[in-house]
Amino acid sequence: MSDKLVIGIADMKVAKGEGMLVTYALGSCIGICLHDPAIKLGALVHIMLPVNMEAGRKNPMKYADTGIRETLKQMEAMGARRARITAKIAGGAKMFEVGSSSLGNIGQRNIESVHMNLKKEGIRLLKEDVGGSVARTLLFDVNSGLGCVRSYGRAELII
Amino acid sequence: MAIKNYDELSSLELDTLREIGSMGTGNAATALSQMLGREVRITLPEVRIMGYNEAIEWIGGPEEITAGVLVKMGGQINGIMLSCQQLDFVNMVLESVLHQRIDDYGQLADMENSCLIEVGNIMISTFINALSGLAGMDVTLTVPAFTVDMQGAILAVPMAEYGGQSDYIMTIGGNFVFDNQEVPCRLLMSPDLRSLNALLRKLGVSDE
Repeated sequence: MSDKLVIGIADMKVAKGEGMLVTYALGSCIGICLHDPAIKLGALVHIMLPVNMEAGRKNPMKYADTGIRETLKQMEAMGARRARITAKIAGGAKMFEVGSSSLGNIGQRNIESVHMNLKKEGIRLLKEDVGGSVARTLLFDVNSGLGCVRSYGRAELII
Repeated sequence: MAIKNYDELSSLELDTLREIGSMGTGNAATALSQMLGREVRITLPEVRIMGYNEAIEWIGGPEEITAGVLVKMGGQINGIMLSCQQLDFVNMVLESVLHQRIDDYGQLADMENSCLIEVGNIMISTFINALSGLAGMDVTLTVPAFTVDMQGAILAVPMAEYGGQSDYIMTIGGNFVFDNQEVPCRLLMSPDLRSLNALLRKLGVSDE
């Protein structure tokens, strides 16, 4: 796997045919793998927040709603068909348990927003590894459509 | 003028924040020194304004495992204080207090964890006490929260908390020197933008 593409926070990359997409250390953030198996086109988005509420933001990939929408648009421009695209997600953890404050709910809100937006866009969610309190590194093989989740103190998980 | 993004800070404002960092970490080092019974000094503190991915590279890569103590600030300054304790620092503390070392974070048990939480909490509290005294602002702190995990995900906590306001994260912090050996201890303060503006006004470096 020489052609490993790294996706940063609030970032997205697409690969076709062959390739491994990877995003490191998802905490409350969520990595969304979108895949069109017929043409072996895959995209991985690393979103950080549930809803884009700022007008004219230059970075749509930071948010679940605009991130999913923009990625689908780019995949369709590369020949993907909406009906064939499936999704796998990982992340949305709560890294710290801080009293009663709203801190830490971001992970849960991200999960809900990703679910809602996938549904709205008509994308089927095949598998997920979300919630809990562990950080996750997500690898996504564009050829097979398989995802691999790596965590500290936990066995690797194939999604 | 109030800033809308961290990268709008003037050099005077940055100098002021560096001074706060210096004073805060200096106080934290003194407290640590008393607790551990050994000499602890600080290196030149840094104020950094970084993009998310830049910040994660700066702290040493996303997947590196680290112990993190997090405290939320409330009252007149809202924000997050984070103490990221890498293995060298952890061992320095454990050797001084419990006379033991670990090779891996997996060896941390309850006793070691509470020791690290306490050390993190004391450093954070002294930092904030110094800041709140200087600025004459009341700051409340939550009970410290603790985790051992990938540092990329730990650092993403303040980023996500203020991610709706900015594409940058501001950190104030420094490294510690124990008995002439430099050990990275990332003590980070990330205020939200409104609090940062209030703080700079209180300190008289930001005009109305």
